[in-house]
Formats: sequence, structure tokens, C-alpha cells
Amino acid sequence: MVTRPSVLPAMPAAAVPAQDWQPTIVAIVCNWCTYAGADMAGTTRLVYPASVRMLRVPCTGRMSPLFVLRAFERGADGVLLSGCHPGDCHYVHGNLYARRRFASFRALLDFMGLDARRFHVSWVSAAEGAKWAKVVTDVTAAVRAAGPLKGWGRLAADGKLPWLPAPPPPPRGTPAAGDQQAIAGHLRALCQQLLEQGKVQQVLGYRPGTLPGRMVPALIGRPEDAKLLDWSDQCHTDLAVYLAGAQRLAGKIGIVVKACDARALNGLLQEAQVRREDLTVIGVSCPGVLDASSLALKCYACDGEVAASCDYTVLPAGAQPGAVGSGARRAVAADPRDAQIEFLSRLPAAERWAFWQAQFDACIRCYACRAVCPYCYCGTCITEKSQPQWIPTTIDGKGNTAWNFIRAYHLAGRCVGCDECSRVCPAGLRLDLLNRRIALEMERRFDYRAGETMDGGPPLAAFQPDDPQEFIY
Amino acid sequence: MDKAGWRLDRTQAEAWLADLLRAGRSVYAPVERNGMRAFGAVVAPGDVTFAEGKTRFSPKEHVFPRTEVLFRYQLDNAGVTLSDPPPDTAERVLFAVRPCDAAGLVRLDGVLADDPFYAARRERTVVVTLGCDEPAPECFCTAVDGAPHGTEGSDVELLPAPDGILVRPLTPKGQALTSISAAGWPAASAQDWEQAAERGRTAAAAILRQPVAKEWAARLESNFESPTWSGIGERCLGCSICAYVCPSCSCFDVQDEGGASCGERCRNWDACSFRQFTAHASGHNPRGDQPARYRQRLLHKFGYYPARGSGQWMCVGCGRCVTLCPVGIDIHEAVRVVMAAQPEKR
Amino acid sequence: MTDLGSLPATGSAGNGVWTSPFRPRVFRIESALDETPDVRTLRLSPVDGGPLPEWAPGQFAEWSVFGEGEAVFTIANSPTRAQFLECSYRAIGKVTYALRNLAVGQVVGFRGPYGNRFRTEEWKGKSVVFVGGGIGTVALRAAVQWVLDHRGDYGEVVILNGARTVADLCYQHEMPEWQAVPGVRVIRAVDPGSQTPEWDGEVGMIPAVFEKLALAPAGRVVVACGPPIMLKYLFLSLGKLGYAPSQVVTTLENKMKCGLGLCGRCNVGRHYVCVDGPVFTWEQLETLPNDF
Repeated sequence: MVTRPSVLPAMPAAAVPAQDWQPTIVAIVCNWCTYAGADMAGTTRLVYPASVRMLRVPCTGRMSPLFVLRAFERGADGVLLSGCHPGDCHYVHGNLYARRRFASFRALLDFMGLDARRFHVSWVSAAEGAKWAKVVTDVTAAVRAAGPLKGWGRLAADGKLPWLPAPPPPPRGTPAAGDQQAIAGHLRALCQQLLEQGKVQQVLGYRPGTLPGRMVPALIGRPEDAKLLDWSDQCHTDLAVYLAGAQRLAGKIGIVVKACDARALNGLLQEAQVRREDLTVIGVSCPGVLDASSLALKCYACDGEVAASCDYTVLPAGAQPGAVGSGARRAVAADPRDAQIEFLSRLPAAERWAFWQAQFDACIRCYACRAVCPYCYCGTCITEKSQPQWIPTTIDGKGNTAWNFIRAYHLAGRCVGCDECSRVCPAGLRLDLLNRRIALEMERRFDYRAGETMDGGPPLAAFQPDDPQEFIY
Repeated sequence: MDKAGWRLDRTQAEAWLADLLRAGRSVYAPVERNGMRAFGAVVAPGDVTFAEGKTRFSPKEHVFPRTEVLFRYQLDNAGVTLSDPPPDTAERVLFAVRPCDAAGLVRLDGVLADDPFYAARRERTVVVTLGCDEPAPECFCTAVDGAPHGTEGSDVELLPAPDGILVRPLTPKGQALTSISAAGWPAASAQDWEQAAERGRTAAAAILRQPVAKEWAARLESNFESPTWSGIGERCLGCSICAYVCPSCSCFDVQDEGGASCGERCRNWDACSFRQFTAHASGHNPRGDQPARYRQRLLHKFGYYPARGSGQWMCVGCGRCVTLCPVGIDIHEAVRVVMAAQPEKR
Repeated sequence: MTDLGSLPATGSAGNGVWTSPFRPRVFRIESALDETPDVRTLRLSPVDGGPLPEWAPGQFAEWSVFGEGEAVFTIANSPTRAQFLECSYRAIGKVTYALRNLAVGQVVGFRGPYGNRFRTEEWKGKSVVFVGGGIGTVALRAAVQWVLDHRGDYGEVVILNGARTVADLCYQHEMPEWQAVPGVRVIRAVDPGSQTPEWDGEVGMIPAVFEKLALAPAGRVVVACGPPIMLKYLFLSLGKLGYAPSQVVTTLENKMKCGLGLCGRCNVGRHYVCVDGPVFTWEQLETLPNDF
């Protein structure tokens, strides 16, 4: 983490609110139910704290985490979202989608260490004036107990941060060099053949970079260039990031994928970003890639078998058509990030908050995390939208908190854990932990794991009538 | 100026740092933070590392911050009130700056000299360089007129010596800095300096990258329309790691942050690798694809900027962009690829 | 939000601790005129009551909407008509939409004048041909006014003002005033198919209309501004008619931010458009890489 001179002063230590401090709570409410319910509370002259500023939107389905982030950035101490009960939505299922979204960004807000007393969700109908009064009373009490929110986008004054426990040693050693060279040879032969036969116009693979041991993406268009292709435990880049553009520009594409990349490919197919019929998927039974000199964390739990959707599988013994198991029976272990997530989750929220604020403070907004992610394919990124400018442009805690939150959130139910974002981050941000935390939420709540098939879709694009809502008032 | 200089061991060097901190200087130096070597604020002299190698980011952010307030505005019924941010009066010492990074500061001086924020900060900054005895695989300072023991931009030169460092002020600013503690420092001998210089020559010889010749600049420019650019730039993913870690990149964006009643106009680091950099509101974008944007980066560093008068390369050969590029684009290799392309007729 | 109370308020007269070139001077909108559905002309005067800055035709400024940002427009009037500063702009992005929402009496920021200028002294004795396409005419107006106000210095003046449609034609109310000056010919043009039944101007794309005028190159300078595609074909027409690149001047539109040659955004080849331009001759443009 790089410290830098900060224009804004560091957070003052332990600010005690004045006796007469009133919390500022932003309530974003749906027009048809909660807004009417609040109106009813007024007309029936119910007494409740005047601490809430209301923003009216047509439906909870319209509520975006951007609103929540902006409210906190601009000085809100608490945020309340409220709308129609499931089944009563004026737009039929706006709130059913919203329920899943609320669960996801609540999980992320909590993981980031935002005091749970600051963010609330409720269903309040047009007839429930009394409930509205009670909700606001209870929310105000909770936010009051949490105190004024002073730490948004600011480093903790005392600088003490929790240290993540080191991951356990990897379950297996580095792959045999001979195997890697064999795979490289088969890849070269296969890709040359595919190009010569016109089955693909371009191959996305890897070739050596200029630094020792480095492997970089190679976009090969001519059969005679196939000999440049190579393979090793340094083949990091998720080549699916080039796919949509390559199909547009070159036509039929052959892509070399590891297990993690193949999952990303499935997701892109689900989201109709690439055409399967113009794709030749060349899966490599990958024993793992290295991070410095040790097995990358993402590979601990992965046995390296590529997805069933491959057109070819490349093993040390040869390149075979179809999806072929390698029979390698690689030793796997539990995902080491889960233990680090568990550690963070058990910390008091304030310590977790300090950890993430320090992480975000180091962010330089190079957007490499966005650039390497196959799922960040928006024509205009949310950061580039200027009317309004949702994500602050300043490269400081405030802007960085919003960016890192929204990047992780946009991947909810989509990220396959290829970890390229955290590998390339020059400031060393543990983006993989943010991604994995949300992925775990998807697993626990919706029994969903991204990238397993090319059918279906991400969980936030769907709903069930009986989705869990234990956190909703 | 004391040409003989001094030879300090670790304890004496830390004592000097402690003196600087006591004298009210803001000292920044290579420190290990969260498993990474950063160029960060020194709180305790023991934090500083003199080990071979570069910091992850260059020290440029201490004179050219990532984000900076230009002025604040407050709107009211009568109009608007503007106020300047408080002037930055910190006296900074950038300690153990590698020669490439110091050369980068000189390049920044060339671009930002008329910028009052930068100029005020830079004037109050003293640069203490630390020469390199072991270049890293990505280093190519010698290819762009630099050297592992280069002194461009240096106020005080440090060189590694067995069990310590050699210290020698090069400018009046540097002289003032060393005189804070120099009474009682053991003198260095001419032999100390000669042996250090020999290590520097060995280090320079270890960098095998082909030097970029002066006449290449014009040829690179004239190859603007060459088809080679797509091969080089097509794997660029359009992040800005290269520009942000670069000691000599200085492009910035100006944005208003605030509401309808009050706020700030800020400037933030920006990069020509972003599509938004040249995108017009009308939708027209003269650099519409990534190879065109990468071309701008390379030509600005090796073509346009040298041609504008300084004659200096805008690249100092630190190699950070090569190591940290997510897809391993190597700007020095790219220069050679473009040079090898046939010149295009306009 | 940072506490402003602790900072010295330096007011709009700019008497701060140091002179920051990023700090605008505050101007009040005195009047607003809609030239077309999306182009508006503002007249502004300084809030501090001081004199207007000195500028030359062709120079531009950075205009601020506080809270939204800055946008770059040419200073639209000639210094010979220096009762106000004028700018004409099209609402197309964040800042210009916000500018459009400002009312007469509200304030904007002004930084400038920046850039080089039309070398009007080199046009003396020559016939000056202005060719403006759409909003490009805005960039020429200061020079048009200058030439008309120094009528005796110049030969025949031809002003070709074209737009996509009749409604998009800028400065319609001023063109009769220009036409009324002796030795001045004003030609209005709209794209084929856009003419209304009452239209009594030319119909055609600008390069075609220009060729039809059959203006011989000798002793002329052509001052053109418009969309890139118009300029491209206009230059082809000019070449066909025998105009030398040094006889043709244009002003470039480029994405800019600082206006001071610092931020790097307008770097084209060896030049910074905000410092070395935006006025360039066709001859100079040929030396620039195709990057603008």
C-alpha cells in the first residue's frame, strides 16, 4: 500500500456526536406502496422521528447501489430502501428482482465493513402508515446508535490494520516442465492446422513475453505464426477478454482456455456476447498457474479439468477432439480465500472497514481490473458516464470506494474467480476477496455457481417467488 | 561543494534520516508496506530499505499527486465565491530515488514547469538518488541515455558501498541537506568512489537492451500510418497502468466534484490509453481503437516529445510498464518493431 | 464535503494567495439568444466590473459551469465589438447542457484567451473567403466581424454559411448586416432536400456550393471551419480549383481540458492544439499525423 499526501484530512479519532445530533437518513422509497404509506402516516398524524429524507422512485426495481453509495458519500449516516411487498409490486416483479439485488449489495456492504446498523430494507404497503412510522423509528434508533458516519473514503487515523492470515501451502507442486513443453507442441500443431484449414481466422493463445518466464497473449492470424505459441505455468491472462472483439474483427476464433477461462467463456455465452458456432474452444488440462513462485490461490481448489464444452482438449499426450478428462487426479484443497474471507467476516465491522478503506485508498484507478475482466464489456463503463457522474472521478478514498464497490457488484453471480483483476492490480488490492465474497453469497442464497454451464443466466437476472428475505423489515 | 563526500553505515544513514525528520522535513523513501515496496512516507528511519530494486510506483506522486484540488467554489444568490486550496508548504525529501525516477522528475519539470501547484511543490523538494548496482530484467535506462549511476535530477548522490552507502551532494540544495548532519560523518576516499563507479559500469554493461538512437525519433513519426501498429497495440486492453507507474507521464483530467451549491474543481491522473481521452461529445474519436491509442503513447515518448525541443526521450527506461502491463507489452520491443517496419509514404 | 469556512475566501476578483491559471474569472450572463434549436449565443460581462481581457479573433476560452466542469468554445465576437464577451455553443454534453440550463443573471467561469489566432494582418489586401459549415461558422464569426470592421484593409469578402437544414443555420439575424457592407457577398446554403418552400439561398453541400462560386484562387485567402468530413471534401475542391495549401486556414476542434498545454489531451503530433493552434493552415495540417 502506497501512502500519498492526501488533500483531505484523516478521519478524526473517536468523534462523539453532540447531544442534539440528528442522524441524516436517506430513504429511497417506491412511489406506489411505501411513499403512499408514508403519506398515510402523515395524514393519520402518527408521530415519528423527522430524520428521514425521502427520495421517490417508481419501483424498488429501479433502486441501484449507485444511489446508496452516493447517499453515503454525500453525508448520509444511514440508508433505508423500501417498497411493495412481494406479490404486490405495481410493475408485477420489480421488487422480486430487487430482493435479490438488495441481498447482494447488503452482503458486499457488510463485507466492506459498513456498520450493519446503517443499511436497512423494508416492505411497507400503502396501507401501512403505522408500519412506516415504526420502521423509521427503529431505523433512526439503529443509526443513532451507530453514530455519525465519518469514515467514508477516509483512512483511519491510527493506521492500525488487520493482517490477513497467510494461506496454507498449496496442495500440489509446480507442473513438470516436460509436460508443459509437450502441451505447447500440441497447441502449435493444432492451431497451425486449424488456421491452415480455415476453420478459424484467428487463434487466441499465449507466447513468451520479453521478460524471463513471462507469457503474454498472442493473437495469431497466419498459420506460419502458430509456431510462436507456447504454454507454461505463467499463462495467466483470461483470453476470453479478447473474444467478442476478435469475433467482430476476425470472424471464426480459436481460443486456448484453462479451466477458469472456460468458465468465463460459459458466462459470455450465457450473456450472448460471443457466438458459439464461430468458436473453436481449445481446452488445456491445466495443472495450475504460478503467482510468484507458488501455486496461485485460485488453483488450490481447481483440478484443472476443462469444461465439457471444449472442441479439443490438449493433454501432455496429445490434442484430442472433444472434452477429454486428463486422468491426472490432481490434489486439491479448500479455496484459501474462503478462510481469509471468514477471518475478515469475524472481525468487528470497524476493523473490517479500516482494512478495506486502506485497500481502496491505495487504488490508483488504472482500471486494469476492468480491462482484464472478460465480463467488463460495457460499451460505456459506469465511470465514463458523466450525466450524471455516478462514480466520483477523484483518485482518493471516496471515488475509489465507489469504483471498487460497483465493479465487484456488477460481477455478482457472473465472476468465475479467474483472479486476473487482483493479479494485475498494481496496488495489490485483494479484489479476489470481494469477488469471492459475493460469489459465496450467490452459492448460499441461490445455490448458484457462475460459469458451470452455457445455459441459463446469472442469478440477479432472475428471481424466485420464495427468495429468502430474512433481512427485510 | 564537498567533492570527497562521505561513507556511512546503516546506523549513520538512519541517524541522518532521523535528523531530517526532526528538522521538519517530510521524508519519502522506499519502504516495505503490505508485502510491496512502496515509495512512502518515512515514519521511522528503520523503515527505509536500501535493497536493490525499484519501488512499485515511481516517486512522482509526491510532486504530482494522483488527485489535487485546484480550487473550491461556493455558489450563492449573488454568484460564486472561489477559494484556493491552502498552499503546500511541506519541505520534502525524496530519499533513495533511483536514477531513472530522478530522470523522470526532470521530464516532468519540462512539461509542468509553468504549473504553479507542481512548481511550488517541486521547488521545496530535494532529490537524493541511490544508484543501482544490479539492474532488474526489465531495466533499460542505458538504452535511453540513462545509467544505473546516473545523476540527472539528483541533488545528493548515494551509491551502494560494502556495508553502507557513499554520499555526495551535487547541488546547493543537496549541500544544504547534507550539512544538516554531515559534521562528524566519516569521509569517503577516492578509492571508495572509484570502486563504486566500477560497480556502476558493470551494472550498465549488464543491461543488454539495444540503445534507442537519436535518429529513430523521426523514423518512428514517419511510420505513423504503418500497419505494424495493429500488431503491437491489438493486445493492449486499455488500462492505464503504464502511464500511472511511469516516472515521466503527466497527463491529467480536470473534473468538478460537488453539488449545485458547493464543490471542488480537481485534477486527476489521466492517460492517453483510455478511450475517453480524446472522445468528443459529438461521438467523434480520432483515436478510435486501442492500437491508435498505444501508438500515441509510444510516439509521444519516442517521437513527438523529443522533437519538441528538449531532444530527450520521454521514457527513462525504468521498465515498470513492461513488468506491470497485464499483457506484457514491452515499449522498447515495440519501438524496435516499428523501426523495422518499412517507412510509409505520406 | 470539506469545510470551506476554514479557507480564506478570495472572492471572484482573483486576489488569492497565488495566481492559479486554473482559476476562472467569474462572468455574468447578460443575454442569451438561441441561434438554432441547439446553438445558443451568450453575452457575458465580468462580475468584478473590471475590463474585458484582450483577445484576438480565433482565440478560445475555457468556460465553466461550476459543479459541472469546463467546455471549450471560441470567443465568438471580435475585439472591435468589445462591449461583452460572446460565445456560441451547442448543447451536446454534460457541461453544455448545464450551461443551457443557466439563466440570464447567473454566473459562469472564464479562462482565457488561449491559443493562437487568425493572422488577419497577412490577409490585408487580399480577398477573404469565409466558409462555415454548421457550428463551424461560430468559430469564424470573430474574424468575420474583424474583417468587416476593418473593411478598407481587405478586398472582396465572401461569406459562405451552410448548414444541414434551414433551422440549423447560425447567425441568420446577422447575415443581412454583413451583406449590407459594401463589397461583401453572403451566400447561405442548406443540404439538398432540406430547403423549405421559402428558401431563397443555395442548395447543396458546402464543397459543391463553393465550387459553383468559381472563385479564382489568385489573391484570396480561404478561412474555413466545419465538421471534419466537410473540411476533407472542401480541401479536395480547393485543390481542384488551384488553391495552394498555404492559402487556406482553418481552426481545429479538439478535446481539451486545461487549455494551457499541460494536461496532454490535445496533443497531436508535435503540437498541442491549445497552444500551437487551434488555427492552422491547410499546409500545416498536412504535417500533422492523422490523429485529430
